[in-house]
Amino acid sequence: MTIVFGFLAGMMLISALGVVLSRNVVHSALFMSGSFFAVAGFFVMLSAPALAAFQLLIYVGAVTVVILFGIMFTQQPQVRSFSTIVNKQVWAGLAVALGVGGFLSYILATEDWGATEAGQGTRDVAAFGEYLLGVGPGSEIFAMLFQLVAILLFVAVIAAIVISRRKDTDVESASDVREVGE
Amino acid sequence: MPGPIQPIIDTINQQIPLEGFLIVAAVMFAIGAWGAVIRRNAVVVFMCVEIMINAVNLTLVAFADFLPSAAGLGASYAALIIAIAAAEVAVGLAIVLAIFRSRRTVNIDEVNSMRG
Repeated sequence: MTIVFGFLAGMMLISALGVVLSRNVVHSALFMSGSFFAVAGFFVMLSAPALAAFQLLIYVGAVTVVILFGIMFTQQPQVRSFSTIVNKQVWAGLAVALGVGGFLSYILATEDWGATEAGQGTRDVAAFGEYLLGVGPGSEIFAMLFQLVAILLFVAVIAAIVISRRKDTDVESASDVREVGE
Repeated sequence: MPGPIQPIIDTINQQIPLEGFLIVAAVMFAIGAWGAVIRRNAVVVFMCVEIMINAVNLTLVAFADFLPSAAGLGASYAALIIAIAAAEVAVGLAIVLAIFRSRRTVNIDEVNSMRG
């Protein structure tokens, strides 16, 4: 247990640092997928195997591919020096991040969480699905949240299409052609 | 198996406490926040935001596994957060593409005015 935890924690934190400090944007994306992979391992340790499968499918698969597409469309000449990829707040940002991390760790470690015991999550995928749909005991709120997320995904997909639609010369020339044709 | 290696085996096999997961997630959140503040490329800023969302997800699932009154519901919240984060990536990358198309840059230090 300790070995697995140490391996996953090291993989996750080193990959996260790689995302921040890598000079190549594609390397950043691959480090990000490594970090998500370690988080999926943590989900398996925390008795949520269905969520780990979601994590692998959505994050390691879909989000990484979408971000690689974004990098491909906005390809820049590769930078050589470290100072061109970060702005002037690098040390101030490090101080703030260390402060936030230290404060959060201190609060989370010193807080008394009562009787905690591992293995209380729902390993059962059927129970997980019932909770997610709001039919399980004590999870009635999810009946609303699930539909809200469905509406949000629908709106987000339409918004992504509308925002990224090519609306300058191509559309105008296409409408010109149509007007000439009519 | 008695002997001097027994304490080492016990140490290896012992259960990780809740605070271990929480601290690892907090450190990951801090790394993501650092990257979101310092990087210039908008796509890398998105990656760092995703890392922060994953850290929060890890915290939720850890609480759901360790606290008796959570009743395992944290994993369901984490599934909803994954869906929202995927929607955020889609809209965010669409915005980055639109900005890149109009200004030929993804450097967020240069994109500081709302007018196109």
